[in-house]
Amino acid sequence: MNRLVVGVDIGNSTTEACVASVSGGSVEYLGTALTHTTGVKGTPENTEGAVDAVRRALVGARRSPADLDVVLLNEATPVISGLAMETISETIITESTMIGHNPETPGGVGLGVGTTVSLDGLAGASPDEPVVVVVPGGWDFDDVAAELNAAAERGVPVVAAVLAHDDAVLVVNRLRTPIPVVDEVAAVAKVPLGMHAAVEVAPPGRTIRTLSDSYGLASVFGLDPEQTRQVSPVARALTGNRSAVVVRTPTGDVTDRRIPVGTLTLTGAGKTLQVDVDAGADEIMDTLDRVQPLDDATGEPGTHVGGMLAQVRDTMTDVTGQPAAEIRIRDVLAVDTFVPNEVRGGLAGEVALENAVALAAMVRTSRSRMQVVADEVAEALGCRAEIGGIEGEMAVRGALTTPGTDVPIAVLDLGGGSTDAALLDRDGVCTAVHVAGAGELVTKLIGSELALEDREVAESVKRHPLAKVESFFHIRHEDGTVQFFTEPLPPHVFARVVAMTPEGPAPIPTRASVDHVRRIRREAKRRVFVVNALRALRQVAPRGSLRMLDFVVLLGGSALDFEIPDLIADALAGHGVVCGTGNVHGNEGPRNAVAAGLVDAHADAVSG
Amino acid sequence: MSAPAAVRTLTLKEIGPAQRASRPDEVVIAVSPAFAETFTRTIVDVPHAEVIRQVLAGIEEQGVTARMVKVWDTADLAAIAHTGARLSGSGISIGLLSRGTTMIHQRDLPRLSNLELFPQSPLLDAEVFRRIGSNAAQYAKGESPAPVPTRNDQMARPRWQAKAALLHLKEFECIVAGRRPVEVEPVISRA
Amino acid sequence: MTTTQPRHSRRTEILEDRPVNLDGFVEEWPEKGLVAMESDFDPAPSVRVEDGRIVELDGRARADFDFMDTFIADHAIDVETTEASMAVPSDEIARMLINPTVSRQDVLAVTRGLTPAKILDVVKLMNVVEIMQGMQKMRARRTPANQGHSTSARDNPLQVAVDAAEGALRGFAELETTLGVLRYAPLVAIALQVGAQVGRGGVLTQCALEEATELELGMRGITAYAETISIYGTESVFVDGDDTPWSKSFLASAYASRGIKMRFTSGTGSEVQMGNAEGKSMLYLEIRCVLMAKGAGVQGLQNGSISCIGVPGAMPGGIRAVAAENLVASMVDLECASGNDQSFSHSAMRRTARMMPQLLPGTDFVCSGYSGVPNADNMFAGSNFDTDDYDDWNTIQRDLQVDGGLRHIREDEILQVRNKAARALQALFAELDLPRITDEEVEAATYANGSEDYPERDVLEDLKGAQSVMDRGITGLDLVTALERTGFHDVAENLLTVLRQRVSGDLLQTSAILTHDFVPLSAINDANDYAGPGTGYRLQGERWEQLKKLRHVTSAENPETEVS
Repeated sequence: MNRLVVGVDIGNSTTEACVASVSGGSVEYLGTALTHTTGVKGTPENTEGAVDAVRRALVGARRSPADLDVVLLNEATPVISGLAMETISETIITESTMIGHNPETPGGVGLGVGTTVSLDGLAGASPDEPVVVVVPGGWDFDDVAAELNAAAERGVPVVAAVLAHDDAVLVVNRLRTPIPVVDEVAAVAKVPLGMHAAVEVAPPGRTIRTLSDSYGLASVFGLDPEQTRQVSPVARALTGNRSAVVVRTPTGDVTDRRIPVGTLTLTGAGKTLQVDVDAGADEIMDTLDRVQPLDDATGEPGTHVGGMLAQVRDTMTDVTGQPAAEIRIRDVLAVDTFVPNEVRGGLAGEVALENAVALAAMVRTSRSRMQVVADEVAEALGCRAEIGGIEGEMAVRGALTTPGTDVPIAVLDLGGGSTDAALLDRDGVCTAVHVAGAGELVTKLIGSELALEDREVAESVKRHPLAKVESFFHIRHEDGTVQFFTEPLPPHVFARVVAMTPEGPAPIPTRASVDHVRRIRREAKRRVFVVNALRALRQVAPRGSLRMLDFVVLLGGSALDFEIPDLIADALAGHGVVCGTGNVHGNEGPRNAVAAGLVDAHADAVSG
Repeated sequence: MSAPAAVRTLTLKEIGPAQRASRPDEVVIAVSPAFAETFTRTIVDVPHAEVIRQVLAGIEEQGVTARMVKVWDTADLAAIAHTGARLSGSGISIGLLSRGTTMIHQRDLPRLSNLELFPQSPLLDAEVFRRIGSNAAQYAKGESPAPVPTRNDQMARPRWQAKAALLHLKEFECIVAGRRPVEVEPVISRA
Repeated sequence: MTTTQPRHSRRTEILEDRPVNLDGFVEEWPEKGLVAMESDFDPAPSVRVEDGRIVELDGRARADFDFMDTFIADHAIDVETTEASMAVPSDEIARMLINPTVSRQDVLAVTRGLTPAKILDVVKLMNVVEIMQGMQKMRARRTPANQGHSTSARDNPLQVAVDAAEGALRGFAELETTLGVLRYAPLVAIALQVGAQVGRGGVLTQCALEEATELELGMRGITAYAETISIYGTESVFVDGDDTPWSKSFLASAYASRGIKMRFTSGTGSEVQMGNAEGKSMLYLEIRCVLMAKGAGVQGLQNGSISCIGVPGAMPGGIRAVAAENLVASMVDLECASGNDQSFSHSAMRRTARMMPQLLPGTDFVCSGYSGVPNADNMFAGSNFDTDDYDDWNTIQRDLQVDGGLRHIREDEILQVRNKAARALQALFAELDLPRITDEEVEAATYANGSEDYPERDVLEDLKGAQSVMDRGITGLDLVTALERTGFHDVAENLLTVLRQRVSGDLLQTSAILTHDFVPLSAINDANDYAGPGTGYRLQGERWEQLKKLRHVTSAENPETEVS
């Protein structure tokens, strides 16, 4: 007798249904459907999405709900994840000591050292002393050049200039004797006057050599060893720039200070350890290792991390009704990152890449309310509904239908908020873990490191390969291959770095090169997914050894990514593991493993 | 504190028939028939001398060179800009109408398309013209400038629509049918 | 500085600062067509028929016809009657237009044989009061109506839906939308349709887009009519847009083939704005457009300068010409959606005066349209009236006892209908797997004024959703099914009934709209029967009671309270 069965997998973001006709132990798969999960996984709000997925799958299979025998649901427990980022370093310029904002088009080439004088006061400058002219806003480039030429005529040694507007090339082109000029200094009025200053501009494609070198600064300003020690942060801050201005003021300084951002308290293995978040990701993860398995984590109140951990806890309380005191943070992932931030005290909107730590946390409860979902699904569809099995076990079962796999088998489910691993050993024993950090953290890292204001753009960078539009008729893909078009590309992508979306090239608002964006993207994926894959697999692997694993199957939305599976496979290759993307039933790809697993388990139970 | 704004005049000295150039580091500025001749100011009284001075400055600051072309046989901005683009060694041009309407064009684009269009002539001032020059030069260098923000004002219609139509008609009057584009040298002098 | 400014009077300074002086005004230049309606360069009327064919039109022999002449001569003018009609002196036709004892049908019998120059000659004789008198009788539909815009500066579908619902409740018979980001169109068009049917069953909706997508949305039943099919009065402007009268007629027939209501759009000033007026006055060229629309067989025309209103607005007599172009559409038996739909003046007085020639006699749609969102959100570049003007408009209707199509609605009713529209769209999007609308958004939408009052939407997800609407081939019927499934039975029923109209084809009749009980009201069953005082449409009875209501009216019974 043929019976119509639907397996339903309620995941964090998607609900998948798989319709099958079961006859004895044999299973014929008729169709699948995918919808958004309604509410938090493992809560009664899931019913709507589950019913919808079942209905759609039935429509796709051209079957009537009236013929339905049983709906099988996974035992899903709520998983809540959170993200936070703390900037842990800060660059501060005092007394307007330095201008290192790297304008696109400085003027002239070379080094000029003299005393700062405003253009408005240039008429009174003496011919005895070299001057660095500071030009306020409102001056026209023709007039600036005329004034500088006139001063030089009078014998005033004008050796360099600092401009408010984007006029450096224009001014230098009009000077009888070219000098180095740095422009686009918006707060030029704050440059201290009557001070010793140096302006350096390197030729195109080069970087400055003198002001970015501590001894260079010492030579320019005649510093003693103690003073040299003090200015070395200035030199460091200017490294890699094509142009720079340094003003020597009595106590002017550039400092690179660590921002205390509170502590993280980790409890587990009978210990409670504290770690300063500004110590960086390695320190945090090392501390975490020492308290495995983690029982709980808390952050200092008033910090981003503390707030995030509290919010994760609160959300779980709202969802399950469990008191906050009983909710435990079961995993955290710390990642070092950087954020481009405007420098405090800067005169031209200088941006420094400040260090930051991104933290993902995850909490799950044992308090599942799936029975309520099952009852409501049964009522809505007028058939039986059962909780057919635990998610991890079902995922392994589904993954095992991937051609070429065998027990012992481990699955890695690469999701949005958490990365999950499960292992089925030769004895049929299944162990599963969830670790914090997945696709959403990758998006956040890409967004902050590239200073993308729009999360959607960061998402697009994550999901699609890059290219550079080199003309209206060709693009260069990130791997260097060139693709030609017969129809011109749309004007808004011309000359831009683009993400190659299925809808066509989408421009990324950045001045960074394809290589730079690509490096950031791959690094973000590596630091989250590769790190988490290894972490999670070690937790399920016999004796924590990856060598004891034979087959690893990647599942979940991020397993469809164009490079994450390769990154993970590369990392696992050294451990003698066969790793690849799941292909459930040989044709479903990495989707539907749990739903298919539920049906298979049911068929086995019925026939057995 | 700053020098008073100087009054400048612009004359276009004819050099000869406009030729297509091959140097990749140039932007061609193509202007309409009445530009700097019948008219001397945009619809909101920005002197043409200042328009050209700022566009040239934007290009020069980027280290790119500029050539200027007078288009005689049309007053259609897309046609003017595209003519300029086809003459330009880099393929990039800036088209300008007397009333100030401006377009950045590229020779491979269809005539009716563009890289950046600034249709609201009453909202274009010296600073915008500088940025237009700068962006065109950056396109010529193969860089990816952020488009110059276009402004919009719903109330420009009641104030300027009819004057724009009048200026357009006057511009049409200056068309010399069949006359080929001429390369011109902008001579800007202080009055 | 030693230069001295001439001294101004204090009064001059005050007048200089008045908003009207921010408007632009320009002298006429008739040789180039920069003139409203009185030009020596317009042709003199003439017609000659040979072998059942017009061989001379307004002084031009057939051999010299441009394609507009050809199209008008072959399709718009009744060859049988033209020589007789043209023989009637212009002043006599003008008098027929305002004489209440001459019926509308009698006038049409003459006007269907007139050439463009003759029509111009007739309306040139009429002052603005006479133009209004003519409009009062010649308007095709007896009952006047109004059209609204519902758009969003962020293309937020939710805003479009709730403002459509409010607008429908306030009285708009038609609602239109358009986009900032064109790819948003499918979602926004769906939102407009759903919002409109929540506000009042039977309101017709359209989405102004490039022509192919607009047609596709119409054919799928996501929109109910189309309007932004632009036509022009000279061959050169037509050709610039890669179009001809025949290509526009073909497009019109595509709509007709599916029973979809549509009208063309034209207006004074567009040709001179593009520099191709060929030396003709704005009104003469617009009359050519009106006749072209007539010849194409479409039921109506949106005119009244529309997006070029700044051009006639700056000319002497320009607003008279705009009133005249509306009258011309009506006097050749076309539905007239009469403009008042674009930002026109800095002066509130000028804005009001500009709409009087349409509001007072009544037109098929007094505005086309009135902004049902704050002008900052109006993606048609601002309308002459927006949501801030609702109470003024209602008060003017009450003062003059004229029906401008709107009415005052109490806030509780507005909140209720906005909330319902938001929830209906929320349920529909969820059912169709379109990007989610949160409860927070629904709450915001209920109480919002403009787009900045709404939580920001995930634009990328929305655009993907919009694309999927196109890819999955979602139709109006899918919307009906989804609304029914999610418990919005009445909205589903309303939409289904609107869609059914395309089978009966009743909305193809001139000036058709749907009443709240889905009765098509058109020139067929609601023909304008004005025949002088006491006849035609009169604002009275239940409708007048509705329009007496304002936000604050002191109760006569108990002056310590207000009625509303």
